[in-house]
Amino acid sequence: MRLELCWSDVEEVVAASPTRLVGKRLEVDVEALRALLSADPRLTGIRLDLVHPGERCRIGRVFDVVAPRAKLDGGEDFPGVLGGVAKAGHGRTLALGGVAVVATDQQTASVGTLAVIDMAGPNAALSAFGATHNLVISAWPAPGTERSDYLAAVRLAALKTAVRLAQTAREAEPNRVEIFALPPSPRVPPELAHLPRVAYIFQIHSHQRPTGLDEGILYGDPVRRMLPTIVHPNEVLDGAVLRGFMGRSVTTWATQNHPMIRALYAQHGRTLWFAGVVVTVAQATEPERVRSAFLAAGLVAHTLGADGAVFTKIGGGAPHVDMAQAAAQCEALGVKTTAVVEDMSTDGSAEGMLLFDFPGVDALVNVGSSQELLTLPAMDRVVGADDLAPRLLGETRATYGTLCGAIEQVGSTRVMAEVR
Amino acid sequence: MAVKPMQVVCYLNQFFGQLGGEEKAGVGPQVVDGAVGAARAVQQALGDAGMVVATVICGDNYAAEQAERAVAEMVALVAAARPDLVVAGPAFLAGRYGVACGALCAAVQAALKIPTVTGMHAENPGVELHRRQVYIVQTSAEAARMLDEVKRLVALGTKLARGEAIGAPTAEGYFARGVTRNVVAGASAADRAVAMLLEKLAGRPFASEVPRPAFPPVAAPRLVKTLEGATIALVTDGGLVPKGNPDGIEALNATRYGAYSIEGKAGLDAAQYDNPHRGYDTTWVKQDPHRLVPVDVARELEQSGAIGKLHETVYSTVGVATTLAHSARMGAEIAEKLRAAGVDAVILTST
Repeated sequence: MRLELCWSDVEEVVAASPTRLVGKRLEVDVEALRALLSADPRLTGIRLDLVHPGERCRIGRVFDVVAPRAKLDGGEDFPGVLGGVAKAGHGRTLALGGVAVVATDQQTASVGTLAVIDMAGPNAALSAFGATHNLVISAWPAPGTERSDYLAAVRLAALKTAVRLAQTAREAEPNRVEIFALPPSPRVPPELAHLPRVAYIFQIHSHQRPTGLDEGILYGDPVRRMLPTIVHPNEVLDGAVLRGFMGRSVTTWATQNHPMIRALYAQHGRTLWFAGVVVTVAQATEPERVRSAFLAAGLVAHTLGADGAVFTKIGGGAPHVDMAQAAAQCEALGVKTTAVVEDMSTDGSAEGMLLFDFPGVDALVNVGSSQELLTLPAMDRVVGADDLAPRLLGETRATYGTLCGAIEQVGSTRVMAEVR
Repeated sequence: MAVKPMQVVCYLNQFFGQLGGEEKAGVGPQVVDGAVGAARAVQQALGDAGMVVATVICGDNYAAEQAERAVAEMVALVAAARPDLVVAGPAFLAGRYGVACGALCAAVQAALKIPTVTGMHAENPGVELHRRQVYIVQTSAEAARMLDEVKRLVALGTKLARGEAIGAPTAEGYFARGVTRNVVAGASAADRAVAMLLEKLAGRPFASEVPRPAFPPVAAPRLVKTLEGATIALVTDGGLVPKGNPDGIEALNATRYGAYSIEGKAGLDAAQYDNPHRGYDTTWVKQDPHRLVPVDVARELEQSGAIGKLHETVYSTVGVATTLAHSARMGAEIAEKLRAAGVDAVILTST
């Protein structure tokens, strides 16, 4: 399967009519876009703001971040959620570099859990979204709209916007084209047969909380009874997997630019053979967890024939153990593993970093502690969180976990916890 | 701008303080102006950056046998000198000396808020006792290269006294204190994970970024009675609480547990219970608490004589993001209460 990401780099974003890409300047018809998003009866009072790198601005109430993408040929946009259910991962997809769509959550009262993005100051460098031009969507629930419906509508608005922005590159000559071509897993040329076969086990959701009916995660499916299944890595890169609504230290943006899939593609045919991707969910009960662990390990060892496997998790503690159980099952079948974990300690002690100790699961990379405190310096403007502006304008304390994009559990970030 | 020279107080045992050998190990704390004995190496390492204003000397046996008194006396001597930094030792492999160095540093930091540094060999018992509170520089076993070793203590101590950022244990040469700190790595976690996997696949050494936990193994004790004669208690970390959560058990990172009577109850009425646990989907246990705490079935077993007696108190806490320290404490307290109440066995339900 072959996917081409046709990248157009954007260096400037301005409000102007019509929405179009002029060289490296993206012009956004804010009124027209607002009209497009206002068609959703679940949302009201839609507001769009443009914020730029280096601006002394803080985005508050961040819910998710989406990368601008639109299919040029070969499929549907965000299939199963925005577009119709269709296979993703092949053909050509338009992509804008340097721009992100930020969806905010105006409904929750639980402000302690809301994430922020800093566009200037030391925290801007910790997150990919401190360096992108961001189109921030603020939308309020229409009367009578339930929580899950509201979040589905907010996410849909972000996806529509992402597609609308990327469509401006339809006529543009891309600045670069990234090609993702991976042959069927068993077909290894004889001269590369010596390379270790490596699979990626991607935990895409945690059932610590039940998914809503409209909480499409895999091709629009809320993955409620999902068992481990094999997908082509291109499907992940091309919009088949979206973040659920209770994502913690994970964005849809990171999934669309999946760092582990990119890292494995980068080594494919050189130091390893990328054998494929298994998507899993963290289960809520022990029998489900055990079943899922050995099924995932079976796919890795027996179907993909992998020698090695790398794991990432989502959510908090239960998915952390869930992932490790699957890794332990792989090790038991002779598949070497590494896993990306968060520092799970809640008191900053090294002895609390890990919630498991399974034989062979001894090669661990960490994405830092989401509980550690950092300082949010004073800013000139707050976007996306008018009600919190008094607090978010001044200097305040927050955790790494609340700085959106500082910790991405799929591994795109460089923050790590070091034992001191 | 000239940096003000640091005022340093050194701590030495009777041997390194040149009072004498083992025959002087019983002498109590005393203070000498300026640098004496091994403290001269500290002064040499400091150069113009600082001055050893006093040396506190105490015999090893005095420090070991009257530890609390010795530390209190020495803290008072340090306080009188009002230094910017305390350098203790280095103690190398000398056990009594190492333990005293660690204890004095910990006490000075806590009582006087003055930074401290010490040094010892990895096998000195002072390392395991004090590395969590005190920066302990790793030294060799014997004082053969005193000045070189002291230079490393002074380098780290200078940073501490100036409030400069302290690097990783391997970079600065101190024993890991067991705390974690977020830093920015040179490559993304994904790139590091793939690189680590390739090393592991090739059978080469790799450095995991997370130490494996040293959970002490706890063997399950044998039930010394028959089940028919045993008293059984129900304990859970799944978050069962009476409506209103009277003990205020936290939704995560719990520090509290509750003891709830089931006396006279054949089962748990869902209307009377709640569940604050934030780590799993509590829908089903709120609907029927027996899915978490099976009082109904346990009563039947009690009635039929399959078990001797159901303990009339259920212990409950929330087990999510709970620190190891609080888990261990709560577990020990609950176990103590159960034992005092004559309970023979526990059914512990987790989620």
